[in-house]
Amino acid sequence: MNHHDHTPRLLAPAARVAGLPRRTFLAGLAAAASVPLLAACGGSKGSGGSGSAAAELRAYSWSAYDDPKVLADFAAKYGPKVLVDSYSSNEEMIAKLAAAKGTSGYDIVIPTGVFVPQMAANGLLQELDHAKLPNLANLDKAFQNQEWDQGNKYTVTKYWGTTGFVYDTRVVKRDLKTWDDFFDAAQKEASGKTSLVDDPGEICAMLCFARGWHQSTTDKAQLDQIETFLVDTLARHIAAFDSSPGSSAIPQGTHALMHCWNGDARRGILASGDQDRWKWVLPGPKTNLWMDNWAIVKGSANADAAHELINYVLDPAVAVKQVDFVGYGSGVTGSEEEAKKLKLGLIDMIFPSAEQLTTMYTGVINEGQERRMAIVNKMKAKAGA
Amino acid sequence: MSSDRRGPRAAWRAVPSGLLATPALAWIALFFVAPVGLVFWYSLGRKPGLYQTHANDVLTLDRYREALGDTFLTSFAGTLRIGLAGTALCLAIGLPFAYWLAVKVRPHRRFVVLALVLVPFWTNFLIRTIGWQVVLSPEGFASRAMQSLGLIDTPFSMLFTRGAVLLGVVYNYLPMMILPLYVALDRVDGSLREASKDLGANRWRTALQVTLPLARPGIAAGLLLVFIPLMGDYVTAAVLGGARGNMVGQLVASQFQQAQNWALGSAMAVVLIVVIALTILATAAVGAACTWLLTHRRRRELAGIAEGSPA
Amino acid sequence: MSSSATRHAVTSARRAGAGDGTGSVELRSVRKSFGGVTVVQDLDLSVNPGEFLSLLGPSGCGKTTTLRMLAGFEQPDSGEVLISGAAVQHLPPHKRDVNTVFQSYALFPHMTVAANIAYGLRQRRGIDRAEIRSRVSEALDMVQMTRFADRKPNRLSGGQQQRVALARALVNRPSVLLLDEPLAALDRKLREDMQVELKLLQSRLGTTFVFVTHDQEEALSMSDRVAVMLNGRIEQIADPYTVYERPATAFVAGFIGQQNFFDGTVADGGRTIEIDGGTVLLAEPVTTPGSGAAAVRVAVRPEAVAVAEAAPDESDGSANALPGTVAAVSLLGDVLQYVVHADAGHELLARVPRRQAGRLAEGARVRCSWAPSDVHVFPAEATPRAPIGSAK
Repeated sequence: MNHHDHTPRLLAPAARVAGLPRRTFLAGLAAAASVPLLAACGGSKGSGGSGSAAAELRAYSWSAYDDPKVLADFAAKYGPKVLVDSYSSNEEMIAKLAAAKGTSGYDIVIPTGVFVPQMAANGLLQELDHAKLPNLANLDKAFQNQEWDQGNKYTVTKYWGTTGFVYDTRVVKRDLKTWDDFFDAAQKEASGKTSLVDDPGEICAMLCFARGWHQSTTDKAQLDQIETFLVDTLARHIAAFDSSPGSSAIPQGTHALMHCWNGDARRGILASGDQDRWKWVLPGPKTNLWMDNWAIVKGSANADAAHELINYVLDPAVAVKQVDFVGYGSGVTGSEEEAKKLKLGLIDMIFPSAEQLTTMYTGVINEGQERRMAIVNKMKAKAGA
Repeated sequence: MSSDRRGPRAAWRAVPSGLLATPALAWIALFFVAPVGLVFWYSLGRKPGLYQTHANDVLTLDRYREALGDTFLTSFAGTLRIGLAGTALCLAIGLPFAYWLAVKVRPHRRFVVLALVLVPFWTNFLIRTIGWQVVLSPEGFASRAMQSLGLIDTPFSMLFTRGAVLLGVVYNYLPMMILPLYVALDRVDGSLREASKDLGANRWRTALQVTLPLARPGIAAGLLLVFIPLMGDYVTAAVLGGARGNMVGQLVASQFQQAQNWALGSAMAVVLIVVIALTILATAAVGAACTWLLTHRRRRELAGIAEGSPA
Repeated sequence: MSSSATRHAVTSARRAGAGDGTGSVELRSVRKSFGGVTVVQDLDLSVNPGEFLSLLGPSGCGKTTTLRMLAGFEQPDSGEVLISGAAVQHLPPHKRDVNTVFQSYALFPHMTVAANIAYGLRQRRGIDRAEIRSRVSEALDMVQMTRFADRKPNRLSGGQQQRVALARALVNRPSVLLLDEPLAALDRKLREDMQVELKLLQSRLGTTFVFVTHDQEEALSMSDRVAVMLNGRIEQIADPYTVYERPATAFVAGFIGQQNFFDGTVADGGRTIEIDGGTVLLAEPVTTPGSGAAAVRVAVRPEAVAVAEAAPDESDGSANALPGTVAAVSLLGDVLQYVVHADAGHELLARVPRRQAGRLAEGARVRCSWAPSDVHVFPAEATPRAPIGSAK
């Protein structure tokens, strides 16, 4: 974390993680018609409505990030329907809020931790009223008081997760353990059947993790090496840039080696007809760690209902449903135990071991961003040529 | 000038015709000139900071220098290849089909056939495209069917190949080709085809010398209606081609959405517009030159008869 | 057309040895129906080489379908089509030695006049450039369109387009030229001029012309023979004089020129026919099938009817005469036309040369009479859709 001193910079991967950017974003568009339906079956307006009088809550979030049943239950219990629009990057979300200057109409957003200070400083977020969040006590101390939001003034952790890869054991018949193994397999057995997450930060971070460089490096020589490796060596072996192989590529057996996030990988393997065929790897020596957080938009007219929703999902019984749905840890105390009790599938993919946790760290936002974007665009051009 | 007499009447005539054009002009101004102008304006600016998308405090052409880098040119070359191949394929399939529909199918059945062409397009195009993804994947319908028929013994994957991209492009854009072609061919008077046959031309020569030349405006419209949107489309290619379906439109979109660099994205968009326009002009020029060369001999053969110089 | 203009055409286009059957057309038991509706039924037709034959009939009579079967645009359901003695019913249009002048002219709008005319020659092998050029220029000359050679058809008048269409067909020197109401779109004066030109051209070229029209005047004035068609059949085929003077059926009688029709019954052993208010004497007795009073239809042409002032007391009809009142008088150039309301209820049309008699006024009492030799008798039932006195 040698970048802390650069003031306005935050920790976190350059672009974004956790999100299920473009591919899922597209799928989300395709399913757009069903969103109001899901929300609508969440119950009649005001039925049993204790507390807020809001008829609906508008959330701006990563797509497929909440269990529709949880939102429906919330609506049935407290009244407000939750309408969700999706974005595919923090930058996109911030640009929209900044442009609307408090009139976006959204009540809730889910920024990645490292983006929070900048959003707060620019007056995009509303301070939380802890009196309305009694369940905040359920959040594990490890997920409270993050350096990007001391005292949880603006945010409450929603999910945390990490980055690794999944491979098809029918194609790759050896044990892959590290990022170097990933590169090797991608150039050999899995050549032309490898996909990468469509995220410049994550793609550039792979070589950094392998070489022991900081994942958000700004060192020109290191960035040059990243460019040479990605464009000249790896690009021609890549079949797709897919941020959510779990939604179709794994169940349909499209690729043999897929760079992905743990929750998405879990979802894909669970949906696959043959779970033993797929192997999830949290690669060494280092890999990524990220947190996405609940936050209330400054100017929200339904702040009470928004607090109600945040408080609701901090209930361990509710949290475990969300965890099972997305496959990411929630940080709610006891949710891991609860999950084990419920015997959720592939639970190790949600909750890495303590030993694994020591290999993970968070990236930062810095002036390397533009370069990373340019490198990845060049890589895509090369892969498509 | 006799403005005392003619002037008022001429003015009276000129005013309403100008007024009638106003909605169209307003429409073009509002939905074409203004947005394109804005994009052009942004392209002269810069991205001032991480959280700002554009600023025009300094006017510079640097974004164009950045836009015209290797990445853009490589992506554009790939896009142009898909654009030209896709448009050519649509023409190759759409032209015989539209000809069959306009000439051979009985008028009261044409509606049914046209409906069959169009009905799939009442579905969201993303769903249709993702549907192809499901069909073409190794665990998908096409692979399983061929395996069970014994045609192949290992799962095949057409997904994420250029073939899949072209398939998706043809599937999504074919109606844009068929409709103008059908309208143009339908408008060619059937008696002209009969006259051609009557004069000794068989059906191929009739098609080449009479029907197609007369349907030329429709062919041009179909080519433009397919080529222009196709050059800007990156969804079809990305969904079915993966990394092989890298399109320049995606590069532009990534500048707006992921990089939040509207200045560079705008510069790329402007370059794209210009290059597409140049491609179309070049194609049209080549087409006109070919036509001229092909008909040159025949025109010379009959030149000068009117001047009364029988050979 | 000037005589110099036609000289090339005559020498180059007149068919050598027309006696070998080149240019003949024959239809044998040809039948054609569209969607269950029979349009042409069991048609037999024979056209001699070099003949100008018109197919005349009201719309829907099958004349155009017959022409299209000759051109090859339609295939007969059964029967044979012979051109120059060879069966062609299975040949496509481009393999038949015929050319067509279309009602709409069907000129190619994207080609110049010269290119339109050259089109047919260019489809053939073995015609070199110099010959194409000379034949196109000759054909343009023939129809006096040389100075319009480089124009596009849409910049020509209807009559000019008509000439180009004719030149485009004739430049190929077909054995048979088919013309589908080619003059219908022209105004009257131009049409009459073109009729004369077309007839002259045909007789100079010696090409067989099969000419479809619904205009009986046009058919009579141009044709060597006229085939009058109704309901897919030929009612009568004969030279114009015969068709006019001795119509074979009441329909032909009514369709060619105008007629006064009377319904009546045969009497006196076939020598007379009783009609309302009078008796018609016949020059030759008619034989009727069966016995007794057969119903018949009697036709008398308006120009055969004499109109004379009646004696004030005369009100009974006598043989071949009906008393009546003049209802209308009109001057048709050289003739006066009277519409007479017969006392028996008939409406008679009479045409009298203008100088032959003084003009009778409307309301005058008259006596209409005619000679027995001007009477035609037809079976009463054979008058389907006959538009009495409706022809032009």
